[in-house]
Amino acid sequence: MKVVANSSLCQGHARCEDLCPEVFATDAIEGKVVIEKPDFPAELEEKVRLAVRNCPEGALRIAKGVAL
Amino acid sequence: MTFQWQPSSPDHVPADLIVDFDFFDVPAEVTDPVQIWHDLVRRGAPPIFYTPRNGGHWVFLKYHDIVEGYRNHEVFSTYQTPIPPIEPFPVMQPQGVDPPQHDVFRKLLAPMFTPLAVRRMTEGLQHRAHVLISSFAGSGKCDFVADYASIFPTGTFLELFGMPEERLPEFLELAHTFFRSTDAEVRAANLRDIYAVLDGMFRAKRDYPGSDIASTIVTALDEQGRPYPWQDILNCGFLLFVAGLDTVTNTMTYVWRYLATTPAARAHFRERLDDPSAFLVAIEELMRINAVSNLFRRVTHDCDFRGVHLRRNDRVILPNTVANRDPSVFENPQSIDLDRKVNNHVTFGVGPHRCMGSHLAKREIVVSLQEWLRVIPEFELAPEAEAGSSFGGSVMGFTSLKLLW
Ligand code: SF4
Repeated sequence: MKVVANSSLCQGHARCEDLCPEVFATDAIEGKVVIEKPDFPAELEEKVRLAVRNCPEGALRIAKGVAL
Repeated sequence: MTFQWQPSSPDHVPADLIVDFDFFDVPAEVTDPVQIWHDLVRRGAPPIFYTPRNGGHWVFLKYHDIVEGYRNHEVFSTYQTPIPPIEPFPVMQPQGVDPPQHDVFRKLLAPMFTPLAVRRMTEGLQHRAHVLISSFAGSGKCDFVADYASIFPTGTFLELFGMPEERLPEFLELAHTFFRSTDAEVRAANLRDIYAVLDGMFRAKRDYPGSDIASTIVTALDEQGRPYPWQDILNCGFLLFVAGLDTVTNTMTYVWRYLATTPAARAHFRERLDDPSAFLVAIEELMRINAVSNLFRRVTHDCDFRGVHLRRNDRVILPNTVANRDPSVFENPQSIDLDRKVNNHVTFGVGPHRCMGSHLAKREIVVSLQEWLRVIPEFELAPEAEAGSSFGGSVMGFTSLKLLW
C-alpha cells in the first residue's frame, strides 16, 4: 500500500505529521507535507489511515499497490 | 421560532432568512460567549441567515458552507472585511488580500512558522513559561488572564521580533486597547499608535538587522531585488501583532477554565506529559471545542450560494465554533473526547488563508500546559471570585479567570 499527497491541496496543517511522524514530515519552506515513506509497512496502516482521515484539506490518499 | 423580524434589511434578503442577532451581545446570564452561537442552532435559525445588526451581515451555520467560505476566495474575499465596517481599515498582509497577491507575503512569512521553525523556538517558550509560572506559583492563586494568558503571547511576540522585554507593558497596553475598546476615537488613536510602534521597530531593524522575524521581513527583497513597500511591511507587522495575541490568550483561558473544573482532564494531560502524540491528540480536541474566533469574509460579486442570493460587498461571518460542533461531521459534537480519533476542526481555518501561526499557537499552549502541570498539578476556580465578564465579537473570551491551588 502506498500513500500519496496532492500538494496543491495541502495547506500545511501538519496533522499528518503529528499523527504519524514515521511516514509524514513537513518541509522547511512552506510547511507542506513530505511523505518520507510512501510504501509504508503494514504495521503502520492504522496510523496512516488516521492521518489521512484527519487531513482537513483532504490532501492525502491511500492507493492500493499501483505505482502512481 | 421566536426570532424578531427586522424590516430594515436590504431588499435582496427574503424575510424568512432574517434573524435579529448581535454577535457582540452576550447577555449577563450567559456564562460562556460561545453559547450565543449554539443557541442560534438550537433555536433552529436558518443555516444561512442575515442579521441587520452591526452594519448587516450573513452568518453561515453549516460546516461545509463555512469551509466553502474559507476555500472559495473568488467569491468570499478577505479584503476589507471588518464587521461592523471600519474605514479606513489597515490591509493586513497577507491575511487581508486574496491569492495570487496573497502568496507574496505568505511565501515570505511561511518559513518562519513551519513546524520545523516552531520546534526551534520551543526552548525559549519553555523558559519563558517556566519563569512566568514560577513567579506566582508560590502564592497559591492567580488571575489566569492578567497573570499569564495575556502576558505569554505578547512576550512571545516581543521575542520573535527581537524586542526587549522592558517593552512588554507598552505592548500589552496597545493590545488591550485594540481588542477591548469600542470607542471609535480611541480605536483610531490606538491604530495610529500601533503603526507608529511598528514603524519605529522596523526602522531600527532595517538599520541593525538581527536574526528575528522583524529583521527578516524588513530586509527581504522581491523578485526584482527591491525591498517591499514600507506600508506592506507595516501591514505584515500589524497582522502578526493582532493575530497572535488575543486568539492565544482567549484559547488558553478557555482551556484552563475547562481544566480547572474537570479533574479527569487534568489527570489525562498529566499522565501524558511525556507522550507527545497522545498529548497532541488531546490538545487538538481542546482546539476543536474551544474555537474562539469568528472570521469575516466579503462577497466579491452578486451570486447565488446554496440557493441564497448574495450581493457584492455583503459581509459574511464564519463561526468556527459552530462548524466544529456540526453533528453531520463530528460524532457527539458537544462532548469533549480527549481521545477523539477523527477531528477535522476548522479552528485555524482551511484553504489558502489557513492560520499561518497555528503551529506556534499550538506550541504556546502545549508548552504552557506542560510547564503549568509540572509546577501546579492541581488547581480549581476560586469560589468567591466574581466570574469576571465575558465578551463576544470576532474573538470571544473572558476578562478574568481566578484560579486557586
Ligand atoms: S494534514 Fe493535510 S494539509 Fe496538513 S500537512 Fe498533512 S497533508 Fe498537508
